[in-house]
Amino acid sequence: MIASHLFSRLACAAALALAAAYPAYAQGQYQARYVDGDQPGYIPSAEEEELAPQFKRTMVFYRTTEAPGTIIVSTSERFLYVVQGNGRALRYGIGVGREGFQWKGLLKITRKQEWPDWTPPPEMIARQPYLPRFMAGGPGNPMGARALYLGTTVYRIHGTNQPQTIGTAVSSGCFRLVNADVIDLYERIPVGTKVIVRQKPEI
Amino acid sequence: MALFSRTFRSGLLVGLVAAFAVAAAAVAYDRYDTQTLKRTLRRGAVQCGVNAGLPGFSNKDASGNWSGFDVDICRAVAAAIFDDPTKVNFVPLDTNQRFKELQNRTVDILSRNSTWSMSREVDYELTFAAVSYYDGEGFMLRRSRNVDSALELGGTRICVQSDTTTQLNLADYFRANNMTYDEMKFGNVGDLLKAYESGQCDVLTTDTSQLYAYRLTLAKPDDHVILADIISKEPLAPVVRQRDDQWMLIVKWAVYAMLNAEELGVSSKNIDEALKSKKPDVMRLVGTEGSYGEALGLTNDWAARVIRHVGNYSEVYERNVGVSSKLGIPRGLNQLWNAGGIQYAPPIR
Repeated sequence: MIASHLFSRLACAAALALAAAYPAYAQGQYQARYVDGDQPGYIPSAEEEELAPQFKRTMVFYRTTEAPGTIIVSTSERFLYVVQGNGRALRYGIGVGREGFQWKGLLKITRKQEWPDWTPPPEMIARQPYLPRFMAGGPGNPMGARALYLGTTVYRIHGTNQPQTIGTAVSSGCFRLVNADVIDLYERIPVGTKVIVRQKPEI
Repeated sequence: MALFSRTFRSGLLVGLVAAFAVAAAAVAYDRYDTQTLKRTLRRGAVQCGVNAGLPGFSNKDASGNWSGFDVDICRAVAAAIFDDPTKVNFVPLDTNQRFKELQNRTVDILSRNSTWSMSREVDYELTFAAVSYYDGEGFMLRRSRNVDSALELGGTRICVQSDTTTQLNLADYFRANNMTYDEMKFGNVGDLLKAYESGQCDVLTTDTSQLYAYRLTLAKPDDHVILADIISKEPLAPVVRQRDDQWMLIVKWAVYAMLNAEELGVSSKNIDEALKSKKPDVMRLVGTEGSYGEALGLTNDWAARVIRHVGNYSEVYERNVGVSSKLGIPRGLNQLWNAGGIQYAPPIR
């Protein structure tokens, strides 16, 4: 129990930092529009937090037999839906797991956390000794403003300090939203909410 | 003498029977045309009736190339038959003539934003092969009003074209939901649009695909939103003549191949990979298992040809009318059944 909890705290947002050639960032130093890997310490500007129109939070037409309140994640579309009933869903743009880090299934939200801490796992530290061993929750933390824990897995729905990764597949299997969206989602979603994760079919 | 007469009489009988059979066959040929595929192969091109110009659905550019959602349905049929999506003769048809021109074989497919209805099938002896696009009446209003459901439109002034089913659907919808509205009727589309743009009414209602086209003509399209609610059924489908089942099945399954391809994750980009797939559903679709194509009078890779040259349903939708196209219509009802919409193709098996 403790082990799995610990592991779940470690893995998610961080794993991709293996590709990051960037130590801690301060606002303004950031140049590239898209960067592989986590950027602990980087605080995005308000302009960067602005999503492309197709990824903005929107009420959309969505028919489903799932009950209102259910979360449906469509990884190939890069959207997370919260079913509203009446043929509607609230849609959020998300970033998803990169190749090899995609999964599907049915889970429940087991825990909610504001400004979660980040503890990169030992494998990552071995690859990137410059990563912090621990990073307290707060702006600049790759986990972002809120986290919703999925079952007993290592996966979460969380915020991000890299809004430019919304719409891309770079995570280690987590679903990331911009902080404004994850805060909005956090307010709407209680512990116990059903989460359905759908993948693009494999040929 | 008796012998001669008997021979003569039986000869006459045979002759009469033969003549009658030929005449009957000729009548049958005229009324019951079952040779569309054969004629199409001989001609080397699909005869396709389209709209002369409808943004996103059917358009001819300056160099004479046709493009659009309805156009791609005919290209898919051509790809299935000829392995070449360009082997189509497009014939622009107007609203009044379209069904007659199909009936008298000017065209063999009518792919022209035509709503599938019972009377059209029965009265014109036609068959609508498969729903390519679920359209329906919707609402456009100013973004600044901050409305996101048709159920919030009570008490508004609504512009509608007079003497249309649109007007009747509107009345039904508001009555069923216990809401009132001020109806502002206009005889022609120009006046309707002017009234909406000048603010004479708060809301404009007509078929949703039209609303997106109208929005393009407004001074500031982004200031207007089209609600996701659809309050009437306008299923658009390619049409063929009755009694040529083979042809009808080719058109029907060309559409379903594109939908099944999307559902199975097969697209024009990964079709070569799909041809090597060991997944039974994918193998049946691309023709590496079974002989579904030959049963249709085509080759077994008929669907692979459609997907390679034209794309799966999502590719066709997004390219022509989707959110990143000029029209910018969200998938909505036309999303697959397992992804929030109602597009559902029977399986290939």
